[in-house]
Amino acid sequence: MTTLLELRDATIRFGGLVAVNKVCFEIHPGQLFGLIGPNGAGKTTCFNLITGVYRPTSGEIFFDGKGIGGTSPSVIAEKGIARTFQNIRLFKSLSVLENVVVGGCLRRPTGLFSALAYLPKAIQITDALRDEALRYLKIVHLDHVANVRSADLSYGMQRRLEIARAMATQPKLLLLDEPAAGMNPQEKGELNAMVRRIRDDHGMTVLLIEHDMRFVMTLCERIVVLDHGEEIAQGPPAEIREDPKVIAAYLGEAH
Amino acid sequence: MSLAIHRNWTQFAWVRLLSVGGVLLVLSQLDGLLAGQNDFVKRLIILAGLYVVLAVSLNLINGITGQFSMGHAAFYMVGAYTAGYLASTQFTRLNLPLTLWMPLVMVAGAIAAAIAGLIVGLPSLRLRGDYLAIVTLGFGEILRIVANNSTELGKAFGLNVSPNFRSIGLTWGLAILCVACCRNLLKTSRGLQFLAVREDEIASAAMGVPVTRTKVLAFVVGSAFAGAAGAVLAHFEGFVSTAMFSMDVSFILVTMVVLGGTGSITGSVIAAVLLFYIPEAMRELPDTPMARILGAPIAIVALLRREQERFHGPARQKWARNLGIVLGCVVLAIALGAVLANLPGMNTMVQGSKLRMVVFAITLIALMLLRPQGILAHHELSWDWVQRLRGKPAPTHEVSA
Repeated sequence: MTTLLELRDATIRFGGLVAVNKVCFEIHPGQLFGLIGPNGAGKTTCFNLITGVYRPTSGEIFFDGKGIGGTSPSVIAEKGIARTFQNIRLFKSLSVLENVVVGGCLRRPTGLFSALAYLPKAIQITDALRDEALRYLKIVHLDHVANVRSADLSYGMQRRLEIARAMATQPKLLLLDEPAAGMNPQEKGELNAMVRRIRDDHGMTVLLIEHDMRFVMTLCERIVVLDHGEEIAQGPPAEIREDPKVIAAYLGEAH
Repeated sequence: MSLAIHRNWTQFAWVRLLSVGGVLLVLSQLDGLLAGQNDFVKRLIILAGLYVVLAVSLNLINGITGQFSMGHAAFYMVGAYTAGYLASTQFTRLNLPLTLWMPLVMVAGAIAAAIAGLIVGLPSLRLRGDYLAIVTLGFGEILRIVANNSTELGKAFGLNVSPNFRSIGLTWGLAILCVACCRNLLKTSRGLQFLAVREDEIASAAMGVPVTRTKVLAFVVGSAFAGAAGAVLAHFEGFVSTAMFSMDVSFILVTMVVLGGTGSITGSVIAAVLLFYIPEAMRELPDTPMARILGAPIAIVALLRREQERFHGPARQKWARNLGIVLGCVVLAIALGAVLANLPGMNTMVQGSKLRMVVFAITLIALMLLRPQGILAHHELSWDWVQRLRGKPAPTHEVSA
């Protein structure tokens, strides 16, 4: 089987602290992959390594067979990795629709001159992106608030908008950082179905960080568990649930 | 909010061609129509046009892309000196007609300023907010001091720019071009990338927005317009000197952008005209007794303190409240003036012309306290806005598929 994303001994140190230590995992195209671990385990740092926010101290990250460690975030986005943020980072004063259009821009670039001169080409591209954006908003059930300022949305809606914005870049790999945080059980159920649809209908591979065990266990096909920056287990949900190390590190605290 | 990216009738090519043609026709006739006006009025109209160009182009950098630049006067200066230098060395040699010469020097000024903008834009890759402001301020001062000490550029005396060219049509043509470019940009997906950089750099990068390039381009385009304005200024004044481009110019430009409503193009235009015109209009202030001069600021400070208790209510009530505060200020100022006049020495008359900047400063403080988000805040005066005022609902987007 081909590999879409591979972390090979990915390590990052901040001074004396090893935030992520020799983490290895492989994600295959079309997988729903979970990344879990207690607070401070290094999950979001892992995301930041993959998306180029940080450069790995050692080890390498491969995407589509090419090393991407240390590449800038916007280039990585162009290569086909999009993400959402744990602490929502929407373009607050832009409308919901405009947020999603920004996500689509990288696939349909407009020259600065044609934008300044309002040439037909720039208008066509913008219109095409707007229509696409509306379709993505439909997927996350936000099309009815397309013209609302994104800062005025409820928390759960803002999380869904982040997903739509990331999807608009049409990534091969979608990274979701705690997509269900702050959602009620009903919203979580809807999100679960939505993420599944994103994979099934749009062919995107999904890597997600989540604290809600039931959410992760029912959704993901394969899970990696981090603790203190170290990988302590990897496997399908059923195995992870039984793993004594995981129970000690993580599930043990909850039960 | 930005200009929404829906289309209205401006999307049709014939509408745009027609409006460009109409604007050009009006501009070409403007100088003939206003020929009867006295020179002072013409001077005010031309300088106001230049301030519109400067404020709107600074708004592209500060308001739309969110890069706090305090050195806009430097780009203005680069354009002016380029034009001045070319005029003093090349004009007689090339012997071009002025109608051809002016566009050429404007382009030359724009290119020179754009290069300067590129140089300032590069440190902005690493700097944000206050730090960037300090660097741009320093850059402006460096350029000014270099020009002030360079024999080539005439040291403090500056350069004489020999053919005088004073055209209202040309100046406002440049202003309209600048406004049109910014508005066009915000109507396209490319413009949204600029706004995205202002809103959140990390999220923009994660969405594939070339953050660095966008910031530098904002500097390049913004300073190019300032440079073209500088070229017009050089030929308008007939000379250039560093005194015309002091830090005050940069500060007043930042004030215009903030006062108009950061990011709002039409807001920048309105604020540029107002802030340029208010001090000019106040040259005619009547002589005033000392008592009133002391009374007015006291009244304003006393009543604006109430404004600082934030008011949460319907917009209409807020307007009424602010209007009440302003009227209250006037009444209290007159009353205080009458009371203070009884004190010894308070009836001394002060020359009106000396009050100009005091009144200007107080106006600014009052405006900022009453409407901190700027005159237009993040709105634009546009056709869609007029439609909304007429009670038509905002256009909604339908899925076409």
